[in-house]
Amino acid sequence: MSSTTTNPTGFSSAWIIFRTCVEERLVYRGDFALGTLMRFLPIITQIFLWTAVYTAAGGSINGYTRNDVIAYYLLTMLGRAFSSMPGLASGIAGQIRSGEIKKFLIQPIDLLHYLLLARVAHKLVYYAVAAGPFALVFWLCGDYFPPWPDGPTWVAFLLSLLMGFVLGFFLEATLGMIGFWFLEVSSLLFFYMLANFFFSGHMFPLEFLTNSVPPWFASLLWFQPLQFLAYFPSAVYLGKITGPELWQGLALQAAWVVFFYTTARVAMHRGYNRYSGFGG
Amino acid sequence: MKDSVWLYPKLLWTFARNSLIRDMTFRSNFLIEAFSSLVWMVMNLGFYLLVFLKIEESQAAGATADIAGWEKPEFLVFIATTMIVNSVMQAFFMPNAQELSELVRTGGLDFALLKPIDTQFLVSLRKSSWSSLSNFFVALLLIAYAVPHLPAPPSLASWLLYPLYLLCGVLIMYSIMISLAATSIWLGRNQTLYDFWFYITNFSRYPMEIYQGNVLGDGLRLGFTYVLPILVVINVPARVLAKPFTPEYAGLAIFALVATALALVGSRWVFQKALASYRSASS
Amino acid sequence: MAIIQIRGLRKSYRVYQKQEGLLASFRGLFHREYREVEAVRGIDLDVEQGEFVAFLGPNGAGKTTTLKLLSGVISPTAGEATVMGFTPWQRANEYRRRFALVMGQKNQLWWDLPAAESFRLHQQIYRLPPDEYDRTTAELTDLLSVGKLLNQPVRELSLGERMKMELIAALLHRPEVLFLDEPTIGLDVVAQHKIQQFLKHYQETRGTTVLLTSHYMKDIAALCRRVVIIANGRLMYDGSLAGIVDRFSGHKVLTLQFADDAMPTDLARFGEPLDVQPPKARIKVERERIADVLSSVLSGYQVADVSVEDPPLEEVIAEMFATAEDVSDSQELAAVST
Repeated sequence: MSSTTTNPTGFSSAWIIFRTCVEERLVYRGDFALGTLMRFLPIITQIFLWTAVYTAAGGSINGYTRNDVIAYYLLTMLGRAFSSMPGLASGIAGQIRSGEIKKFLIQPIDLLHYLLLARVAHKLVYYAVAAGPFALVFWLCGDYFPPWPDGPTWVAFLLSLLMGFVLGFFLEATLGMIGFWFLEVSSLLFFYMLANFFFSGHMFPLEFLTNSVPPWFASLLWFQPLQFLAYFPSAVYLGKITGPELWQGLALQAAWVVFFYTTARVAMHRGYNRYSGFGG
Repeated sequence: MKDSVWLYPKLLWTFARNSLIRDMTFRSNFLIEAFSSLVWMVMNLGFYLLVFLKIEESQAAGATADIAGWEKPEFLVFIATTMIVNSVMQAFFMPNAQELSELVRTGGLDFALLKPIDTQFLVSLRKSSWSSLSNFFVALLLIAYAVPHLPAPPSLASWLLYPLYLLCGVLIMYSIMISLAATSIWLGRNQTLYDFWFYITNFSRYPMEIYQGNVLGDGLRLGFTYVLPILVVINVPARVLAKPFTPEYAGLAIFALVATALALVGSRWVFQKALASYRSASS
Repeated sequence: MAIIQIRGLRKSYRVYQKQEGLLASFRGLFHREYREVEAVRGIDLDVEQGEFVAFLGPNGAGKTTTLKLLSGVISPTAGEATVMGFTPWQRANEYRRRFALVMGQKNQLWWDLPAAESFRLHQQIYRLPPDEYDRTTAELTDLLSVGKLLNQPVRELSLGERMKMELIAALLHRPEVLFLDEPTIGLDVVAQHKIQQFLKHYQETRGTTVLLTSHYMKDIAALCRRVVIIANGRLMYDGSLAGIVDRFSGHKVLTLQFADDAMPTDLARFGEPLDVQPPKARIKVERERIADVLSSVLSGYQVADVSVEDPPLEEVIAEMFATAEDVSDSQELAAVST
């Protein structure tokens, strides 16, 4: 392929897609500024709630002090800033239902490739706007955090955040592909949202549960993919997961990424075949 | 006019009836929605039960666990109250508030403006989502379970005041919601509205006693009681039922009535302003 | 007194000017540019009780805005209007009970419910006595032959059937003034015709005052004796449909069928050749020259067939809209330079 500026290359078309998506995001400026700030409001309540809880419970619950729990909540928010994909699955399902998906059958664009670029654009714009509020809140809440972790922990933390993004993307994309088989997926997505909220450790550190449930459920908690969307990176940062457990966890996360990447691709191709078979 | 007294109640009945007919034509959807909001509530309840379990584990045997002075049965009444107010909001007001900005976008609001009835009434109550009421019944069960375990059983007055203050809570929430929805006429989109609603009312879902201990806590407690009275919404009815009546608390109960009235008047004003802007801004 | 009186009605609103490009989008976060759009720029109009008036004009000419002003959905920037003695944008309940607005592109019926349920809701909203409501519903459903569809959810109806239901919903309270905004848009020819027939019959028997906007010349030709042309927010013409051609077109179209090979090569000397496919030719000829041209053609060449027609109405109107835009542009320039 030619690399002159006049000929569209893989890179330049990617850039155009990316840029258009950024522009589209910026149109809704009101949502943007307000939405980002408001996301931190529940943290305030969490601080007060857990202060009240620890007043009653004393020093630590399953290895988490009050400060650990609050730092944990803040870190899960960071984790979800990477892994959450608002509107991705429902968007895909909606495109299938409305027939807009045809354009990916007709035009030489790969659906997953396009969506991933769009998502990266959305996320980058989000980070550009959210970095300020995030930094401010983390600085204000600095006292709740333990001392800076060491280098390897940092690497593991960042790695699991990035893999969290990819995992979140392909997991939701796979869910959206279900729309090829069932037209109405909104209730399914709602259940996924509930499961995600619970199993990703967004409600509380998963250790709280591990120690109070039967062993089979505890091991389910340890193997399931949703923990990597919020719980795992946060626990890694706080030093709750160390040694062999840490590397096993990262390997498991990588395995889930590969699994959902493959599933999303296979589902997309099967879905295309099914879709064209039915004649749209 | 004689018939005008009954006009609005009759309309309300027709709105509710039409929504129920619609819900029933999508029966599986109805059941799924009812079930999923139940799951959501069970998860929330489970969270607090887990927290109480953790407190009990760390305490000496025989000690009573509490969060900010709310013992487990009292806290269950508090959660049930939250469920009742939320389910009523979600059943009757949320669908309409969410649709308002959609009406603005599609121009459907034009039709609402043409009707010879109060526009705020029409757009606030047109649709209801009956499936959201499933939590209402779960909340009643929860109250039936929790009340016998309360340290101090509720008096007759408590039982009478509880529904009144539930109503006040719902009306305050409605006022805030319709004000927010009306501002979507200016903003043009409603996702922010929904987020804002969620994050602000999130403060109201906890006992007000947890907001203390520092300037921020006191500020939040006072601000969300006297400026934007969302702490009154759940706390007053929950306490009326779950805890013995104290004179210090009577003041707050009286204030709740005043706050309800002011909230209604204020939201009416915001709504009218927003409508005026719609009528001069759109094509 | 005229039932509808409009004096110097103006409406302008601000629209957000989105800039092209990434950098501009970022700038749009903090600073936005607005453009003032003048949708209606001073309209005067009187409509008498029982008239059926068509509003004609290109997209964005201000027709819909005028209807919205008259129904009180929006309020004007300047000017006055009364309908049945009411100022529409005061939105008095008495006024709102006496007129109706139907918009072809929007629906007000409950999507998932049978139309009958929406009708019953209207009965309450407009406080119609049950016997009168039953009578009107029966009459209208009969006229539009939709009785069987009343209990079917609206979403399952075809576009034409849905439009009929919209019309019934709007007419249940027997409005004295009816505003119709593109009532036949998107309908097939049969459905269009049925709606036209219905409107004609209804208006004639009831004597309702009707204002209609439409893109379909057939709607207008079938229904309205009086046509008001609006372009660029201004009133351009007010009179009969036939009068438009007389007033705005100085041309006739001459169609000539020549005998074999008899067609002259210099047709341009008679007028402007529109369509030349030997042995047939269509020529646009100035009206005052038509007699001369005809006689010289007939005397000079072998002609098999000849006809003289007015140019098609659509063409005249399209031409007029095009010149209207030029005129308003130059007027604006003049206004700026003075």
